[in-house]
Amino acid sequence: MPKVPDEMQLLVDKHVRYIQSLDTRKDELEYWLTEHLRLNGLYWGLTALHLLRHADALPRKELLDFVFSCLHESGGFGAAPGHDAHMLYTVSGVQLLATLDAFDDLEARVQGGRQKIGKFIAGLQDPQTGTFAGDEWGEQDTRFLYGALNALSLMGLLHLVDVDKAVQHVHACANFDGGYGTSPGAESHSGQVFTCLGALTIAGRLDLVDQEKLGAWLSERQLKNGGLNGRPEKKEDVCYSWWVMSSMAMLDRLHWIDGDKLTSFILQCQDPELGGLADRPGDMVDVFHTVFGIAGLSLLKYPGLDEVDPVYCMPRSVTRRCLGK
Amino acid sequence: MASHGISRGSGPLVRSEEARQKELQQIDEYKNLADLVNTKIAEKHYTIEVLGLVTKLLNENPEYYTIWNHRRRVLASLVSAETLEQTPDELLQGDLQLTFALLRKFPKCYWIWNHRNWLLREGEALMGAEAAHKLWSGELQLINKMLHADSRNFHAWGYRRFVVSQLERFTPTVAESAAHGTSKGLAESEFEYTTRMIKTNLSNFSAWHNRSQLIPQILRERNADPKERRSFLDSELSLICEAINTDPFDQSIWFYHQYLLSILSASCPTHQLIVQDLTNGERQKYYEHEMEYIREILEDEADCKWIYEALLGLAEASLEVDAGTGSFTTKDMRAWLNELKRLDPLRRGRWDDLERRLSL
Repeated sequence: MPKVPDEMQLLVDKHVRYIQSLDTRKDELEYWLTEHLRLNGLYWGLTALHLLRHADALPRKELLDFVFSCLHESGGFGAAPGHDAHMLYTVSGVQLLATLDAFDDLEARVQGGRQKIGKFIAGLQDPQTGTFAGDEWGEQDTRFLYGALNALSLMGLLHLVDVDKAVQHVHACANFDGGYGTSPGAESHSGQVFTCLGALTIAGRLDLVDQEKLGAWLSERQLKNGGLNGRPEKKEDVCYSWWVMSSMAMLDRLHWIDGDKLTSFILQCQDPELGGLADRPGDMVDVFHTVFGIAGLSLLKYPGLDEVDPVYCMPRSVTRRCLGK
Repeated sequence: MASHGISRGSGPLVRSEEARQKELQQIDEYKNLADLVNTKIAEKHYTIEVLGLVTKLLNENPEYYTIWNHRRRVLASLVSAETLEQTPDELLQGDLQLTFALLRKFPKCYWIWNHRNWLLREGEALMGAEAAHKLWSGELQLINKMLHADSRNFHAWGYRRFVVSQLERFTPTVAESAAHGTSKGLAESEFEYTTRMIKTNLSNFSAWHNRSQLIPQILRERNADPKERRSFLDSELSLICEAINTDPFDQSIWFYHQYLLSILSASCPTHQLIVQDLTNGERQKYYEHEMEYIREILEDEADCKWIYEALLGLAEASLEVDAGTGSFTTKDMRAWLNELKRLDPLRRGRWDDLERRLSL
């Protein structure tokens, strides 16, 4: 168990209230300017609540109503009603349904709903290279490839895509430092390392990874203040507590960084008054950094938190239910 | 919803009534504009006027990805319309200016980069090869400006590699260039660009990374013979050694040093090799030379953990080639490992694993 000074505790109740308050901020311009993140935001908030062991802090029915209001005829999800379908929101939609144990609700509301979503995702795979586009406009990125394998595996529909081709593409993104970028030739980046390792773990192909080298590169993300950065010679940020540590967890090398120091760094990023976590101590909080900070603490075995699945960033109990393992 | 680097203490906790009313009015105006655009698009009003509204909305919120999709719907319709209020070229130039202005303000917004990429590809289809070449070349100017503002922006580096790959389709082959006495290929000028970036700031790992990507290509295009390849390797090693000497605490430099050592190894994939016919004897000489150099730096920088890590890496590589070398002993390796543990307690677990792996 990490050694934490008494004054450095996780403010569970404050974070729960912070997440509950997010939908009551309609008199702030920021609420409307971030509508394009609404479905992601729900996934981040709900996941944080589950890890904090307050799974019922948001009303299930209202959540589901909103999730289904974002589902298009095509089988893709948009960020909010009226927003176009895109991989980024489709993954969040599927993750929300999985966490709420709502695949039956999906079938009840949309006949053949899972197949529909699966076909939307499968339709975005590039048959030549094996990678995935985000939507019909064609932007490709290993984030979308990971998202596809994440959502399809949760729905038991991996067979709809060419997993071997996708694996080859990820392998082509490997760099000499052991890391991965957005596409072949692109610089290694912790966020992209997470997506590529996640995809390879889902495909059962971690054997392709230079684990020694990548583990070393990831461990060098930790800075003197305990926080983690995303690339060499960049600043620390709480969200890398997730991208870097989940990757190290997949490689079974979490012990290559100092967990106590990182725990203390994450806890310092809390807003002690209103709850929520920020990128760095003293900064404005948001739900994105809140979930990735808390999920990081879960990987560090912070007491009182539910176990997180490093591949999916979802409660381990949920992925166990969906994947049957 | 994902804020970075904004201080919590920078704004008042409670808004004054006046500020609240002002914000409510801003919300109203923003929502009205968004509703108007979405309604017009739903009704398929793909006109210049609607394009103007779309521009206004994107200037207020470039992260609203659906509006970029709407913009492309309008543009595609305007370009294919029979009566043109604006020529395709004018529309294209307008969007290039819009995205440039927005990128200056929001250099990490994926959707703006994505739209720019779409514009160029569409532009090429409309304009034919010569104009397209000019268009793609112009992108390098934009990227230079973006990287001047933030030399690590990975969107800009990624787009740079993409633009270069597009431009290479137009470039005459190296043989043709040689026959016409024209300038060097793009990979060469890109390589020179990384040199300039590194000389400005040694810690720019994005530039070191791109350099590693370009090396196999330029050697291929130069038709470099074994001798030229060896002298290329030597010049890269002396560049990185000079960098190490300048700032041995910068990890970007050490990762590039590791890269150069990895391409010396017999296990390196052939297409990445700098020297393709390296003998074990030569490998051993390189390792010894590096080790000697780094041990010299050690005399002034005894508290730099990267030095010990590099020495252990070199020792391990050396042992693969020749177990009987006399340039270091197991006792040296044990001492280096102990220094790593002393200087770098954050990664203690890693050094313990390394100790076991090397049986020290």
